[in-house]
Amino acid sequence: MNFNGLNSLWLYPIAALSVPAYAVNYFSVTDAQQALFPEAQKFIESPLSLSDEDKDRIKELAGVRQRQDQQPVWRVEAGGELIGWFIVDDVVGKHEYITYAVALSPQGKVLGMEIMSYRETHGDEVRQASWRQQFKGKDVQASFKLGDDIANISGATLSCRNLTDGMKRLLVIHNEYLSKSS
Amino acid sequence: MSFTARLSTLTLSMALSLGLTAPAQSTESLFGFVKGAETLPQGAMELYQIIKRRSDKGQGDYTAYNLSTELEYGVSNRFSAGAAIKMQSLETSGLIIDGYLPKAVDSGLKFSGLEGSMKYMFLSPALDDIGLAGYMSFNYDWVDPHSGQDKDTYSLETELLAQKYFLEGELIWAANAGVEATYADRAEISDLPEDFEWPTDPEMEIELKLGSGLSYRFAPNWFIGLETFYETEFETEVGQERWSWFAGPSIHYGAADWWATLTWFNQLSGGGEQYESQLDDDLHLIEKTKNEVKLVVAFNF
Repeated sequence: MNFNGLNSLWLYPIAALSVPAYAVNYFSVTDAQQALFPEAQKFIESPLSLSDEDKDRIKELAGVRQRQDQQPVWRVEAGGELIGWFIVDDVVGKHEYITYAVALSPQGKVLGMEIMSYRETHGDEVRQASWRQQFKGKDVQASFKLGDDIANISGATLSCRNLTDGMKRLLVIHNEYLSKSS
Repeated sequence: MSFTARLSTLTLSMALSLGLTAPAQSTESLFGFVKGAETLPQGAMELYQIIKRRSDKGQGDYTAYNLSTELEYGVSNRFSAGAAIKMQSLETSGLIIDGYLPKAVDSGLKFSGLEGSMKYMFLSPALDDIGLAGYMSFNYDWVDPHSGQDKDTYSLETELLAQKYFLEGELIWAANAGVEATYADRAEISDLPEDFEWPTDPEMEIELKLGSGLSYRFAPNWFIGLETFYETEFETEVGQERWSWFAGPSIHYGAADWWATLTWFNQLSGGGEQYESQLDDDLHLIEKTKNEVKLVVAFNF
């Protein structure tokens, strides 16, 4: 069989494999802590262990499943007083997990959010302040409908939806577990 | 430098340059045959290289490669359009099928057709309860994909595509339902076997297609799936002329700026027309083969 014309086309997969991995980490945990709580003097690591019953309750209240058994949480203090909570979370992106950090006030309002790693093709706009600021001031009672309350980003709808649902879930976690330990 | 050599050089250069410089853009298909309902965002482009191997008609030797190079563009956030150029090689011997496969062929790779397609997303799978899109493609082929002989074929395909995300997007279901209308006109062959039937009057066919697939992300970037397709053709004189049911596994890797999907399709059952002395009488092997393997590699930019 004559494969003269086929030869170079078989190289497409090889060329594809030469594409460098597109894993971008924008913030370490320490960087995100400093960005979200610049006035903080102390970050006390306070991971939250969640039983199956806890996870079921979070799913019932947030409408989305809690995948992790242990949620990374830091109690944030300044002058010996609680000034908020710093939480790191992962949600499902189209290819990989999206890691983000959230700052909550002691009363459970969103103070800020930073995308720590985002490896998806589209939707890098989720890192922009204009998109992240849509969550600022929201609490567990707020509406979180993507497309209405939170703007969608075309080509990254799944990432936007999962980040939005993730924020709602973290506010439920605060309301159910962290606010009671304040 | 011959045309083939120039094409090879151009393709190689394009593939390598894309591999080295491709910026980050992507939307992708988790399946080889079943289509998803998402479209490219506005302004995004995707270059696909599709290689399909069809083999084994039960007797003799039969191996065909179909290659398609396609460029798709996001016209709006809901509407994308694409154009493709197709190539084919065919090697067959030891099998003659009256009316379909007149003689042994060792054609090598040659240009075989063109395709234009468009897709409109009515509902987004990630935003709405279920994703829904309409798909349409127009094909002009000048090489018969079954026999490798000269044959002008015009076909118009319309499909409804559904897609739904489960488990926050880790499990994806897709389903397709479509109709394809085909007009075909064969060229005469001068050295046919005696009494061999090779109609050269134009013919029209209607084909119905139903497909579905399920894919699961078992590790970051990696998806494994199972997909299936049922196709049946109708013709004026004989009604349902033939049908086939394929199914098989898919594996998909998706990165930020490229992705690849490999699917192995096996014909589980088929019916309708059969060739004389066909041993596998529960398969359709006149126009289909027992096995199809499809590799899709795409770059986003």
